Amino acid sequence: MVLAKYLGRKVAWTIVVFFVALVLNFMLPRLIPGNPVDAIVGQLARGGGTGGEQLQQVHEHFMQEFGLDQPLWQQFLTYVGNVLQGDFGTSFGQYPASVGSLIMQALPWSLALQVPAIIIGWILGNILGAVAAFKGGWFDRGAFVGSLFFSSVPPFAFAILLLFIVAVQLGALPVGGAYSFGLTPEWTPAFFGDAITYFWLPFWSLVLVFIGGQAVGMRSMAVYELGTDYVNYNRGLGVKDGYTVRYIFRNAMLPQITGLALSIAALISGGLITELVFSYPGLGTLLFNAIGQNDYPVIQAITLLITVAVLFANFAVDVLTGFIDPRIRAAQSGDR
Amino acid sequence: MSFRGLSPRFWVAAAIVAFVVLVALIGPLLVHTSPNATVGGLYDPPQCCGALLLGTDNEGQSVLANLVYGTRTSLIVGLLAGLIATVVGLLVGLVGGYRGGWTDDVLTAITNVGLAIPAIVVIILVSVSLPERNIYTLALVIGLTAWFWVARAVRAQASSVRTREHVDVARLSGAGFWSILARDVLPYLLSYVVMAAVLQVSGAILFESTLSLLGLGPSNATSLGTMLYWAIAWGSVRTGAWWAFVPPTLMLTLIVFGLLLLQSSLNEVFNPRLRRGRAARKSAKPGVGPESPVGAGGTEPVGAAGMLETPLSAGTEQR
Amino acid sequence: MGTLVDARHIRGVYYTGDKDVVAVDDVSVKIEEGEVLGLAGESGSGKTTLGSIIALIARPPLHVERGTLEIDGQVQELGGDAKVPRTWRGAVVSMLPQGAMNSLSPTKRIRQLVYDVMRSHDRKVSRDEALDRARERITTLGLPARVLDAYPHQLSGGMKQRTVTIISTLLNPRLLVADEPTSALDVTSQKILIEMLLEMLEKKIISGVIFVTHDLPVLRTVATKIAVMYEGRIVERGPTAVMVDEPRHPYTQALMSSVLAPEPKYSKIRIEGMSSFDRSLFDAPAVIHG
Repeated sequence: MVLAKYLGRKVAWTIVVFFVALVLNFMLPRLIPGNPVDAIVGQLARGGGTGGEQLQQVHEHFMQEFGLDQPLWQQFLTYVGNVLQGDFGTSFGQYPASVGSLIMQALPWSLALQVPAIIIGWILGNILGAVAAFKGGWFDRGAFVGSLFFSSVPPFAFAILLLFIVAVQLGALPVGGAYSFGLTPEWTPAFFGDAITYFWLPFWSLVLVFIGGQAVGMRSMAVYELGTDYVNYNRGLGVKDGYTVRYIFRNAMLPQITGLALSIAALISGGLITELVFSYPGLGTLLFNAIGQNDYPVIQAITLLITVAVLFANFAVDVLTGFIDPRIRAAQSGDR
Repeated sequence: MSFRGLSPRFWVAAAIVAFVVLVALIGPLLVHTSPNATVGGLYDPPQCCGALLLGTDNEGQSVLANLVYGTRTSLIVGLLAGLIATVVGLLVGLVGGYRGGWTDDVLTAITNVGLAIPAIVVIILVSVSLPERNIYTLALVIGLTAWFWVARAVRAQASSVRTREHVDVARLSGAGFWSILARDVLPYLLSYVVMAAVLQVSGAILFESTLSLLGLGPSNATSLGTMLYWAIAWGSVRTGAWWAFVPPTLMLTLIVFGLLLLQSSLNEVFNPRLRRGRAARKSAKPGVGPESPVGAGGTEPVGAAGMLETPLSAGTEQR
Repeated sequence: MGTLVDARHIRGVYYTGDKDVVAVDDVSVKIEEGEVLGLAGESGSGKTTLGSIIALIARPPLHVERGTLEIDGQVQELGGDAKVPRTWRGAVVSMLPQGAMNSLSPTKRIRQLVYDVMRSHDRKVSRDEALDRARERITTLGLPARVLDAYPHQLSGGMKQRTVTIISTLLNPRLLVADEPTSALDVTSQKILIEMLLEMLEKKIISGVIFVTHDLPVLRTVATKIAVMYEGRIVERGPTAVMVDEPRHPYTQALMSSVLAPEPKYSKIRIEGMSSFDRSLFDAPAVIHG
């Protein structure tokens, strides 16, 4: 079946790229001159509060974990083996916490923030763009310039400004964090109600930027489609506008979906920075702290996670496109 | 290129960009304070005039001084990185697109892998590992991770130019490989390259500020991103010391917005097909112009944004 | 054989930013039942514009300043703010566009378009009914029924053109305006398409055709009358044979003599190109034959 062949190629490609990413993830931090373990232990020692015997323990632990006495390729295999089992090692900065546990604490917050933001931003943005194209006139002009502005503002800039205006000056919403001090996360409506107030600002700062980007693109595509021959032909046959709109949507959607795939990386990194600005306890803040502490295992794990997310999102989009656009499947499998 | 084709959008964009460049160039000359000199206490509010015009930051240094020097740094990094990315991408795309064959296959494979791996990831990993971080190493790293999509787009155009007659003529008359690339292929791509360069610069500026915000910025210079880093790290937002973060935020927004606006208006000038009319729409196919990025670290292109902008509906120009 | 179509005093102007271009300048034309009117002329003569005005699909920047269209006794004003009822399009007068390749949305199957066309004119028609009718029409006119289930990219150029021709005539419009239907086709496909058009006329699926083209030899095989347009006006009109062999207007003469015809009758006549003529002669008053 044509679709199966198409999907098969995409899966193979994704695996290849993932492998390259693994190699990079492994190699790059090891470009630091010198022994990373010594460097870290040295840091701990300088920081004080860690006695000689403890340092010795830490040193041994990490030497074993990294296997620095082994040849490089063996280290790599160990690394890959660990990753595939979900073992990301131990954190430097928050020793002896495991990287995995740190990530599992932060990940749900990031997902809860970014996934809805991306989806809602995409939907609303496309609707706005389509409406602007159909209506034309002043609405179109305003929406276009507005969207262009929103899409060019760096998301963290937007986050900062929103934070300042709404939270600090107006005091309408909380300034940072994910929930009020003193509460512990649990699945109760009370906690939910509290957490939501902390959720709004970071959520909307992400969504508004996404909307801007999508609206600009969708408007252009819709305007383009409105002038195409098939729309004209439909009109010439007396086909109701309502029916023709569906044709336009189907065609205009394709580049938008592709565009979504291409910008996933930017969206995710924008999301992480926004978390940072709002001290939201997601992966962004975790990464920030890890960088500050030179906590390589955590940094590596997060970058790998980002890569996986981007690859997965791209794959999902490829699958979706394959379903929506019959020409892609045909072209890919050599059909006329 | 006639001046009649330049829309008001272009002039607005040019004005914004010119303003920021002026701040970067002339600012440090006008503001005599060094950005590292302590001129006041922690987060002193703005007072007229002189060094304290925008108050002080977390180290008692003049925000105004940091702003102008920071703008300069951000622009330098952006320009350098953008240039590197454009040149490398151009070379790879030209050689692969024109040569074809297995050279092209190899280069395309590299490009595709590079495109699939998120640049931000590579940049973070490299920056974290660098023994020393200054403007130039940062620019190099950013530039070397951002050239992939330029290469892909240039390759597509180069391989279509390759089939044109004048290239055959040049080849038959004995012109060398590089000579053909430079004189027969490149001129057709020039307008595209200019626009791609503009996008790269704005993307690089965003990348730099993202990195700095994460704490991976240049360790010996102030940039707009590092200003924000310190502002956040010292909680200036919470304490309401708006002068510490609003100016760099505004400046960053201005330059990125200005550059993107510039690129979109240049798009219309260089591609008159993108203006109104049925004939225009017939020949304008998706994929013709460079695409504009979204969000931090955004040298990755976004679908149709900025690509097929027909000037605000043909309908508005009717009687 | 009555008058099928009576188009009177049509004036169409393109409003562009700088200045207005009069594309169709006070043109009146009549078509009898069963007739194929060939509308010939160079690019820019206004023939396509006239065709699109009569097919009721004119839109900005083209504005119909004046004109009346009478088809089968029903009168429709075209000028100014007149609202053309949507249901006229496709059912009373229909268009056969240039370049069928682009007239079909690449992401929809043919059957979807067929269904949408039918239910836009008859809200009660069911999907099965619509497809059955279409299938019958398709097979009657010589195409395989599987065309309905195909996407446009799965059909060849010639097949697409014929499919579009069938879709344009699904509702049995009285008049079909065909805009350069053969220009993008190879000679064999051209022949097949023309035969299909004539067959439709014969079976009374359509009652009249306006065939807009710059390709004069094609008109010889399909048109019963030919009208030649030049700079927005009809300069000569008459039965095909007369127009081809004994044109009287200087422009028509120039046009006819610049065509390469491989028939023995014409093999001894030297071709003059259009540029060898003095264009000021073309402003002579129009000639109408019979």
